[in-house]
Amino acid sequence: MARRSRDPAEALAAELASRRVLVVCGSGGVGKTTTAAALGLRAALMGRRVLVCTIDPSRRLATSLGLTQLSGKPRALDLRRFAPAKGGAFYAMMLDTKSTFDALVERYAPDDAARKRILGNRFYREISAALAGSHEYMAMEKLLDLSTDDRFDLVVLDTPPTRHALDFLEAPDRLMSFLDTSILRFFLRPYFLAGRLTIRVATQAGAIALKLVDRFLGLDFLRDLSEFFLAFEAMYDGFKERAARVHALLRHEDSAFLLVASPAPAVLGEALYFHRRLADKGMPLVGVIVNRVHPDPAARAARDLRSKPVSVEPELAAHLIRIVRDQQALARAEARSVARLEVDTGERPLLVPEFEADIHDLRDLRAVGEAIFGGLAEAGRSRRVSS
Amino acid sequence: MLVSVPMTLFDDLLAKRLVILSGKGGVGKSLMGAALATAACGRGKKVLLVEIDAPMEAARYLGKPPVGGRVTEVEPGLFTINLHPQAVMDEYVRHVVKIDLFARRILQSPIYHRFFAAAPGLKELMVLGKVMVLEEERIGFSRRPRYDLVVVDAPATGHGLQFLKVPLAASKAVPVGPVGANARRILALLRDPKRTALCLVAIPEEMAVVEASELYHMASDEVGITSSALLLNGCQERQLDEAEEAEVLRLSAAGAGGPLGGGIRLEAALTAARRHIRRRKLTRFYEARLKRTLPLPIVRLPYLFREEIGPAQVALLAERLSAA
Repeated sequence: MARRSRDPAEALAAELASRRVLVVCGSGGVGKTTTAAALGLRAALMGRRVLVCTIDPSRRLATSLGLTQLSGKPRALDLRRFAPAKGGAFYAMMLDTKSTFDALVERYAPDDAARKRILGNRFYREISAALAGSHEYMAMEKLLDLSTDDRFDLVVLDTPPTRHALDFLEAPDRLMSFLDTSILRFFLRPYFLAGRLTIRVATQAGAIALKLVDRFLGLDFLRDLSEFFLAFEAMYDGFKERAARVHALLRHEDSAFLLVASPAPAVLGEALYFHRRLADKGMPLVGVIVNRVHPDPAARAARDLRSKPVSVEPELAAHLIRIVRDQQALARAEARSVARLEVDTGERPLLVPEFEADIHDLRDLRAVGEAIFGGLAEAGRSRRVSS
Repeated sequence: MLVSVPMTLFDDLLAKRLVILSGKGGVGKSLMGAALATAACGRGKKVLLVEIDAPMEAARYLGKPPVGGRVTEVEPGLFTINLHPQAVMDEYVRHVVKIDLFARRILQSPIYHRFFAAAPGLKELMVLGKVMVLEEERIGFSRRPRYDLVVVDAPATGHGLQFLKVPLAASKAVPVGPVGANARRILALLRDPKRTALCLVAIPEEMAVVEASELYHMASDEVGITSSALLLNGCQERQLDEAEEAEVLRLSAAGAGGPLGGGIRLEAALTAARRHIRRRKLTRFYEARLKRTLPLPIVRLPYLFREEIGPAQVALLAERLSAA
């Protein structure tokens, strides 16, 4: 790849200037949300109309943006004091899984009665938001929606804190399988239609499974569940069509993935796995950002030529040397991790130093953007990236 | 009470059956699990450390190969297991469906797999059920528990809270039948402060601290579980006394430099020292905030300046926990 030889900061800046969709992924605790917000702000200051969308239930982006609450709708943030390039605008929103799900039901329900049946179903009400993969599915759904919204040139999507970074890509498929009508046919419909357990189940395994569910979950639960599936049957094709469009969007040449990691060994292992899977799925990775890198203190100060030679008390000197040695040990271990990441992925990661304070407002967020693009050489003075 | 000696926090944890560690991703829960299990083992307890679908198992911190889904004694008296939800579910099906042929048919059925993959809360419920079964294991026909203490490294917050909420949700959604009954038994175990302790894990950083507070309140308000302690991992401890810190700042301001010894220049040392001072102050700041906002004992655990963490580091943390 030609990109490999380019400066990673320059390469990322070019992506921010040209893509329409940027999906920011990585495992929990690596500063993914803050990175997504900082990149979005950066692109806005470059003159693009940007929306940053987070799915995170703990409302981290809200904190990073200094907002107490983000609504489920894009909200414009005031950039005037940053003097953005002409045309630049910055919006942020938080995905509300439940209302996105409701909106989908509204859109695809064949009639009013079906709509009411689903929205009123106990199973749907209690667990639609908790349904495994529904955060992820709704994130994709919302992304599709937003990508056609002409208020935005670029949508930056933060991804849910899944245990494995790639879960969010696969979760929509799992949810679709779950809603798949074939389950219904094999499994629940005979029960529902007959109002009781029936032997007219297509397969023996299905019959046993059904008996098991009945025995262990009880009839009421089963009734709610089967009503839910029946109600969904009419909407399934609509859902499926949307899912296919999401797949196409993610593979489109205007879409790109950015991987965020930290130098911790567990996180790096995940990052490597993720890199491989993206390649398998034919989804374009345009950059790797490694946050919270601890710089080697000796590497930088050695260049400082303005200092005055001073002698220091031996005891203080010994303490200082120990502090330097500690930080150097950490820096060396991290450098080894990062080197491994670079060799295995063939991507030159952008290294962002550990900052010293937390993100409270847009100014802090802009400083994060500067640190991401400034690299290790200049940053590290003011603020620390937090997840 | 007959005992007049005040119980320490650690003694209090040792007196439980179950300790659950929960917190934001990346705060070192897995390492805390290894350290806590090691500490309890050091007091002569038989300990089982339960991990849930952990990509990198705690066993590696003890210098041992991964153990997978089978209880393995990695040190004398210290057992670990890495529960894979799907395997736990399969085991449950085999247990419930006594006839092997039928069980195999179900396990091979794509419907079963789809259902398990997406059914809300089923994974969490199965895993918690397995934890309860492990907790209830007795030696032979005696009433002596197989493990004196079960330590659970719960999934990261967000998912962690869902993990704790599931038994309550399941007991409401499934009013009858064995699943509902099991959910209620799990819930009773989690809510019983005599048997169970919830330990929050955080590091001295904004988001981790916010999530720990959220978890504390949600666990208490929404599930009825009161947390027992907060383990504050990654604390930078003072390495310079006050006079030395003042001297560092003075030298920095004066632009001091020159060789310091050991091939290190003073400029570098001052940069490192200022970084250390900032981190130390932040540690204190967040600790103070946690103390103010949460009515919990806080155990400080030191920042480890290495990426490769092994048995020596675990032993150090275990020692700190034992002294808590």
